[in-house]
Amino acid sequence: MAFFEQLASNLIYGMLLGGVYGLATMGLSLIFGVLRVVNVGHGAFIMLGAFTAFWMFTLYSIPPIASIVMALVIGLALGYLIFMSVMRRLLDAPELSTLLAMFGIGIFIEELAKFFWGPDYVGYSWNIGGISFPITEIPFTKICAFISSIIIAALLYIWFQRTKLGKAIRAVVEDREGAMVCGVDVNRIYALSFALGIGLTVLSGVLVTLFTPVGINVYMGGDYTLKAFVIAVLGGLGSPWGAFYAGFIFGLLENGSYTLLGLIPGVEPFGLTRFVSFAGLLVILLVKPTGLLGGE
Amino acid sequence: MEMLFVKDLESGYGEMQVLWGINLKVEKGSITTILGPNGAGKSTTLKTIFGMIKPWKGVVEFKGEDATTLPPHKKVEEGITMVPEGRHLFPNMTVEENLVLGAYTKRAMDALDKSLDLVYSLFPVLKERSRQKAGTLSGGEQQMVAIARALMTNPELILMDEPSQGLAPKLVAEVFDTVLKLREEGLTILLVEQNVYASLEISDYAYILNEGRVAVEGTVDEIRESDEVKRAYVGV
Repeated sequence: MAFFEQLASNLIYGMLLGGVYGLATMGLSLIFGVLRVVNVGHGAFIMLGAFTAFWMFTLYSIPPIASIVMALVIGLALGYLIFMSVMRRLLDAPELSTLLAMFGIGIFIEELAKFFWGPDYVGYSWNIGGISFPITEIPFTKICAFISSIIIAALLYIWFQRTKLGKAIRAVVEDREGAMVCGVDVNRIYALSFALGIGLTVLSGVLVTLFTPVGINVYMGGDYTLKAFVIAVLGGLGSPWGAFYAGFIFGLLENGSYTLLGLIPGVEPFGLTRFVSFAGLLVILLVKPTGLLGGE
Repeated sequence: MEMLFVKDLESGYGEMQVLWGINLKVEKGSITTILGPNGAGKSTTLKTIFGMIKPWKGVVEFKGEDATTLPPHKKVEEGITMVPEGRHLFPNMTVEENLVLGAYTKRAMDALDKSLDLVYSLFPVLKERSRQKAGTLSGGEQQMVAIARALMTNPELILMDEPSQGLAPKLVAEVFDTVLKLREEGLTILLVEQNVYASLEISDYAYILNEGRVAVEGTVDEIRESDEVKRAYVGV
């Protein structure tokens, strides 16, 4: 039963990739939830993370999984810088202003990256073996990426639930004015959340390369921006946890449909998976407009 | 002693000026009420004093010190808080989480146990409901949480924006009772209300705003007798 074996192995890949998709969308959801800013430049930050992994490996032989620390630091610093220089001035402006600002910043980062690193695809080869199953072999790199995603999401969850700053962020998400009368410095929470959101996104860019180690390119981000929007909406916009779970759903949907579409004669499955994912999104939005997991 | 002193305060939204020079004083330990028709600038006055809206001109002094440009979180640290119109609770958090967030500043954390005792003695029902999500409470209970959360900040001055709004008459009376109890605890209250007669009942001093200016001010007895009130609210 080659078909079922293929489906099963694709679903396993879908789940592993889904964990990374989920983490890669948490930053977007966090920034939207706290600041009501739509980060349309999302993909550019994923790309920066991917290049962080590439350069750290190529120049210093640092294993990509260790680059996540570096990527997080770069992302936090960059996010803070962007907030202080641009976003802070636009918070009271109409929502379109922040959207356009993020769009512009995304393009700026991509073009700057192209200026320094060129337009070509680059990649690395980090082989640390894998686990053999009867139906397929799963490289350890992907398992590493998956486990890292889960650990990071779990740490974030604990941080949000237990720490004072985490609670303050949740308070601002639930009611900005309510947080103000409690004495929360809302602007500081904005800066922190924006930095954290960008930090998470750049970090996820590292994990993405563990799935596509030779697909690193300055324009690689666009695809992830699209996927992140679908996942964020699935999870209920503004809810990082919803986004994390929705990442799994999206990963399974994308990879599962690939196998099923391959059964139809004359259909090129790769081109159609995106169609299926977005059709699924439309259906879910029609049935439950608040997002699949956004209960409130 | 004057707890709050506001002089020639002007502010507004965007290009639209709402306050055209508000002058008012709030004595320590008093209940002072701001009345006036819709759109007179009552809520805007509170929000400008609290710093949610930036003052364009004028002075806000708290306990004799200039506080005009202090942002809201610094005001809370100094001892001013607000019970906002519409309550603005954290609906998906438990009652207890809402209250603990009220004790966010250093000033409030130092007094956490004392504040909790006060809150639970004023509102015993909140102790029973402490594990329930704030969004699932009734309107009256939510108003209690909003007042309780303000108390958790360990304030000296509470700005209250229409605390009786949207409540059944029996609960309105309860809210006004609570405000009286807060004064007994030594707190100072600046109240904005639509409910003219009930709020005059508990107040020491009142201001009537009209079109962004103070039209009349006086003790409660003076206000009751003023033509302005009769014209505005009784319709003679």
